[in-house]
Amino acid sequence: MLEVTNLMVFYENMLAINNVTLTAKKGSIVGVFGSNSAGKSTLMYSISGIILDIKKKEAMKGGERITVFGKVIFDSKDITNLLPHERAKMGIVLCPERRRIFPESSVLENLKIGAYLDKRNEKKNLEYVLNIFPRLKDHLNRQGGFLSGGEQQMLAIGRALMASPSVLLLDEPLLGLSPYYQKIVVDSIKDIKATKNITVIVAEQYARPIIPVIDYGYIIENGSSVLEGTSESLLNNPDVKSAYFGV
Amino acid sequence: MQNKRRERIDRGIKVRTDGLYAISSFKEIMYLVFPRLLLIGGFLLLPIVLELAPYWKRVINILCVYAIIAISFDFLANFVGLVCLGGGLFVGVGGYFSAILNSYLKIPIFFSIPLSALLGGIFCTLLFLPCLKLRGVYFAIVTLMYPLLFTRIIEALNILGGTNGITGLDSFPNQHIENYLIILILLIILFGLRRLVNEDIGLVMRAVKDNDQSVKASGINVTYIKSIAVFIASFIGCLSGAYLAHLYMWAGLSLFSLDFSILPIAAVTVGGGGSIVGAVVGSLILVPLSEFLRFFGTFRIVIYSLILVLFLVLKSEGIMIYLTRKYHQFERWVDV
Repeated sequence: MLEVTNLMVFYENMLAINNVTLTAKKGSIVGVFGSNSAGKSTLMYSISGIILDIKKKEAMKGGERITVFGKVIFDSKDITNLLPHERAKMGIVLCPERRRIFPESSVLENLKIGAYLDKRNEKKNLEYVLNIFPRLKDHLNRQGGFLSGGEQQMLAIGRALMASPSVLLLDEPLLGLSPYYQKIVVDSIKDIKATKNITVIVAEQYARPIIPVIDYGYIIENGSSVLEGTSESLLNNPDVKSAYFGV
Repeated sequence: MQNKRRERIDRGIKVRTDGLYAISSFKEIMYLVFPRLLLIGGFLLLPIVLELAPYWKRVINILCVYAIIAISFDFLANFVGLVCLGGGLFVGVGGYFSAILNSYLKIPIFFSIPLSALLGGIFCTLLFLPCLKLRGVYFAIVTLMYPLLFTRIIEALNILGGTNGITGLDSFPNQHIENYLIILILLIILFGLRRLVNEDIGLVMRAVKDNDQSVKASGINVTYIKSIAVFIASFIGCLSGAYLAHLYMWAGLSLFSLDFSILPIAAVTVGGGGSIVGAVVGSLILVPLSEFLRFFGTFRIVIYSLILVLFLVLKSEGIMIYLTRKYHQFERWVDV
């Protein structure tokens, strides 16, 4: 169980996240929806700890000062000040926005890099990843940078899965994908939850394909969480309908 | 418990003076002009202040030469994206050109310096043209190799005076001209380049650094832009090389030395990259420091390196960037 309480993140004097509280129960899919600049990515960075890394780098080069308040609690342990690699060891794995795959390594190598934390289950995980993303099987020895956008996204999710996460953070997994690929990715999210019992937190702008599969969702606007609820309640909410479905 | 965070806010005077009303009061004019006046005035007064210490007056010349090379490195690295270790090449080429012009062809000193800067700039640009496609460390290695190449060519073929170098260059008429010439050159280059990087061509250069594919897509010839930038940087470098040759009245292989490639980089890192003034501030710290440490004999390099490491670890943003921030912004604790 992952809990974020009263999270506030400042980029210099700009408030990127304002008092967001979020709970993700073990083995559930949680959706975080919002437009550009709503603070989804910052939320993802804060949960995975990358924000601490960005903070350090900005401080080194004398850039913006990043301040983080609030708590991130994972399995009743306070992990607010843990570094990203320590959080990854605990099982919180981020699949970053724009994929960030290693473009000069082959698909297989990309997956193996992901398996660094859990070498013992490498074979089992690889089998599972190739099972949910059969398209990757044909390109195992191809360079990651030469894959199409959709295949790169599958690879990025696959790489995150190779670490045997207990919480999987997906930042904009549908970015730039065709409806066909969107469906594959959404199906894979369902499958990951069903077979592996992994908690999945999805941050996405396109709510329409994701909302039906989530267990619980949050709508974020300008850094604050304005609405939360189950899949059905969000689907039937008139505001959500007009803002995200264009009805 | 109430959380508190440190907030950075632009000073009111900065907000106001950024706009059109900077001329409305003396205080606001001074806010904008004072740092620049401090630098210009400081440099112009330096030879007078050091009138009683002739040795340190020589150090000023060396300091300015290093500052100019550091500016050329900063310009290429942080505004065009070419990491150029060719400081030694620029100095050597400029120095040898002015030696040839002055010692062999008997061209007077005040013509040979600009002329050799121009010829040297063209020469270095032609040398770099084939490798402008290269990026990052590859370009750095090529530019690092050229000075070594020229040293060995001159040594092996015994041309241009061989290992003895070319002697008999004219010296400057007197020491004041020697001091003020290089100080003026430095100030002109400093403020000229600061202006240039904010002009249209400077914008394009910075765009080339950020993403050259997008620049190509906008219909701009990237190689052309890069070659202009390399010409500017090598012109500056050769100018300081020509000056140095006349200062020593001698052009030799040591003009190609690695010092001229490496020390300016350290100066830029200490002073803060990407501000051009940072290069000057870095040289203002490092060159006198290295002179001070001569007192320690062989331990000089040890102490020098330690100070450098401490600088980089504790203030890796660079002094100039830190100072600019402190000047324009203040901090206070606020409740969240």
